[in-house]
Amino acid sequence: MWLLDLGVVQPNRIVSGTGYGLYAATGWLGAGVVSSLLVAAVVLATKPIHNRFWMLALLLTTALMAQPLLLEVFALRKLPEDSEYARIGIGAGFWCLAFFLALMLLETLGQLKASRRLQLSAVLLIVAGWWFCATREGLSSLSLIREYANRADQFTQALAIHLSLSLGAVAISLVLAFGLALAMVRRERLRRPLLGLVSFMQTIPSLALFGLLIAPLGALSAAFPFLQTLGIRGIGWAPAMLALIAYSLLPIMRNTYVALMEVPEPVVDAGRGMGMSERQIFVQVKLPLALPVIIEGVRITTIQAIGLTAVAALIGAGGFGTFIFQGLGQAAMDLVLLGALPTVFLALAADAILSALKFQGASR
Amino acid sequence: MIELKGVTRRFGDVVAVDNIDLTIETGEVCVLVGSSGCGKSTTLRMINRLLPRTSGEILVDGEDINKADPEALRLNMGYAIQSTGLFPHWTVARNIGVVPDLLKWPSRKRDERVNELLTLLGLDPATDAHKYPHQLSGGQAQRVGVARALAGDPNILLMDEPFGALDAITRENLQQEMLRIQRQLNKTTVFVTHDIDEALKLATRIAVMDQGRIIQHDTPEAILRRPASAFVENLIGKGDRGLKLLALRTVGDLMERYPQPRRPEPYSNGVNEADSLRVALSVMVWQNSAELPVFSEAGEEIGTVKREQLLQGGA
Amino acid sequence: MRLWLAPAAWIALLCALAALLPVMTPLFSWVEPGTDNLIYTRDSFYFLLQSHIWLVAVSATIGTLVAVSAGIFVTRPAGSDFLPLVSQIASIGQTVPPVAVLALAVPAMGFGEKPTLFALVLYGLLPILRNTLAGLGGINPAVLEAAKGMGMSSAHVLFKVELPLAGRVILAGIRTSVTINIATAAIGSTIGARTLGDPVIAGLVNGNTAYVLQGAILIGLLALATDSLFEATERAWARAFSI
Repeated sequence: MWLLDLGVVQPNRIVSGTGYGLYAATGWLGAGVVSSLLVAAVVLATKPIHNRFWMLALLLTTALMAQPLLLEVFALRKLPEDSEYARIGIGAGFWCLAFFLALMLLETLGQLKASRRLQLSAVLLIVAGWWFCATREGLSSLSLIREYANRADQFTQALAIHLSLSLGAVAISLVLAFGLALAMVRRERLRRPLLGLVSFMQTIPSLALFGLLIAPLGALSAAFPFLQTLGIRGIGWAPAMLALIAYSLLPIMRNTYVALMEVPEPVVDAGRGMGMSERQIFVQVKLPLALPVIIEGVRITTIQAIGLTAVAALIGAGGFGTFIFQGLGQAAMDLVLLGALPTVFLALAADAILSALKFQGASR
Repeated sequence: MIELKGVTRRFGDVVAVDNIDLTIETGEVCVLVGSSGCGKSTTLRMINRLLPRTSGEILVDGEDINKADPEALRLNMGYAIQSTGLFPHWTVARNIGVVPDLLKWPSRKRDERVNELLTLLGLDPATDAHKYPHQLSGGQAQRVGVARALAGDPNILLMDEPFGALDAITRENLQQEMLRIQRQLNKTTVFVTHDIDEALKLATRIAVMDQGRIIQHDTPEAILRRPASAFVENLIGKGDRGLKLLALRTVGDLMERYPQPRRPEPYSNGVNEADSLRVALSVMVWQNSAELPVFSEAGEEIGTVKREQLLQGGA
Repeated sequence: MRLWLAPAAWIALLCALAALLPVMTPLFSWVEPGTDNLIYTRDSFYFLLQSHIWLVAVSATIGTLVAVSAGIFVTRPAGSDFLPLVSQIASIGQTVPPVAVLALAVPAMGFGEKPTLFALVLYGLLPILRNTLAGLGGINPAVLEAAKGMGMSSAHVLFKVELPLAGRVILAGIRTSVTINIATAAIGSTIGARTLGDPVIAGLVNGNTAYVLQGAILIGLLALATDSLFEATERAWARAFSI
């Protein structure tokens, strides 16, 4: 952590710059603060001090919140003032420090048996801290923020497209998959062919499926011009949406089916014995019992869809993948980050929200 | 011989086994009985060192078990548990042969041993040997579990509620087999159960445990006649204590023998010499008779048993 | 034997198409009329197929070795302190989209095969790790108790009891990992790895649907062939241990 580059000074956005280690980047003071913080954390983690895990959690959360300040100090010290294009980049050391601190926080929260609410507030605090730092003047020279500033509108648009594509696909396939699962529950015969077909589609790699959809959709829109006015073409959102729906079916369908089938027979019998109608049994007994497992399917699907939407940028669907692949094409690493980091963030957020929902569903 | 001297086991602050002394003679069946959480399983698991003891000494044939290699120690102690723990990916034969394999017996000797044990436990070597555990009924699986415990011809047998999960009839059958096998093999056995009837039936001596201590350690008869505390009295049940005592003795103990065996009269109802006195009493009550003929194993009438004798000398 | 028929058929089809695509010009001229560049020729399909398989195979091997040994370590008494942390990392890590891992490998390692391989290993070991933990943790405790109680050494318990019983779940994890990695390796073309994704990317960039199709067909077939190979292996495993 002391050896890796904390940050990089770049003369412009393409040229890779010169790296600075922790000491070189932030001077004695910064290096001292970081080092003593890590030492304090290790001491707290190993010595049997009263309430040490609470102290540790507090320490680590604060450290993570304030971590971007290191970059600010770095920018202040090392950024050449005369150059308009000069910018600072984030080095591996910074990420490693963040990763290490996050890992320790995770373990500490685990030791504390922290409630979900507590975990969530720690995460929100850290996000708020980063947000606060990012909006400050001191970090305006950070290359990531410069890339963002150049593309603020595109970024918002990408966010909108990314969310509507992935969430739209999940919503549509939730309806479809739920219906198919019910059909499988009713008709055992349908189970094998349906599950077989859907898992067959899941096996085909995303790039291949996107590619395979181009020709037929292109042909369709060439044959029926009114489809073109709807925006349905070989590339763009249409093949992306189709493929995303196809990928999203399996987890929801399988989970819904399994969850409905595994509702304990005695419970259903008891419902029947008390005079509930089949419909009441389904709505009041089976569905609530199956809900956590169904939500788990939605969670898997949503995370998967957010990732695949990024790939869909290759066929012109838009979203954060556009930045990733543009950045890769121009060898502009910060543009790659500008696409990849929000994608990761969206996936983590979806995971957190749906996990919380699942536990709510399970605890009711 | 197994000796426990001042053995204690703590889990955190909880004392599971509290300073117990227990001696189990070679060839006897010692049954540890008590309600769940009384420390009986913990005691058993300390004997083969699946659990380390907190303090005290455990000696097997005079040697401290902590001096031995734990694996070598366990190879000489058969171990059967309630949930059988059969290896689901191995056939019955391979499950039984596991300890002989660990002991590096030649494969012919092992196969013979497996067949012998299958027969001993009433399983069919031809059909059952190649089945997988999930293809067995509960009773069969438990028989295999016992066979597996016996396979290495250990001197000591440790059994942790082996019949606890079986239905009453299967359990009864397996208890009978246990008695038969024990007469044949004479293993030093430590048997854990919460079922006092099972304990009375199988034990040479019973150790009643409560809250980590041994309340009473004695023969079944002594426990029934002189329960050491209200707890033991409750455990054996005050009301049918007499019947339980009758159940301990056989008709052969109390009957009047004829000088010469006779041919039984046709259709006469009686009891067998090996039946318990409890059975004899039941038959008398059912038939409202004061005297029953007693038959030998071979079917000859060898004596009679009288109701007065039963009531006076039975319990 | 019949178990291996389906994978053999898929593999044969894959190899045949890799060889025959270049001579199927009429078909592609129907898809993409008005151009002479109907067949992707920068590299032979065989070369790309081989390179694709190589990337996935190497990453799967490394991933399996690392994940299974890590899974075994944290389920032993010595490593049990790390179990909660490792299982949490495995599940949180799987939340990160593979394409993001691939993209983030570039700033760290530059372009080419190396970052692709790195991303494939890193992402690929998570499902294996998760399934290793699930497989080892899902064994009936009574079985382990009995194994120990009979005098098996811990190595014996691991190799004769735990791994055979957990093997099928671990294998399923490897299958998931390989499926994901075949897809991710294809996207690896965008960061300079030579895979079957090359024709697709080239086709998308130049607006040549024929290239896209050729790459997509081969990638799809590779995935299906691999998957059916795993399917057969899982069945064979189940048969061998009759679970």
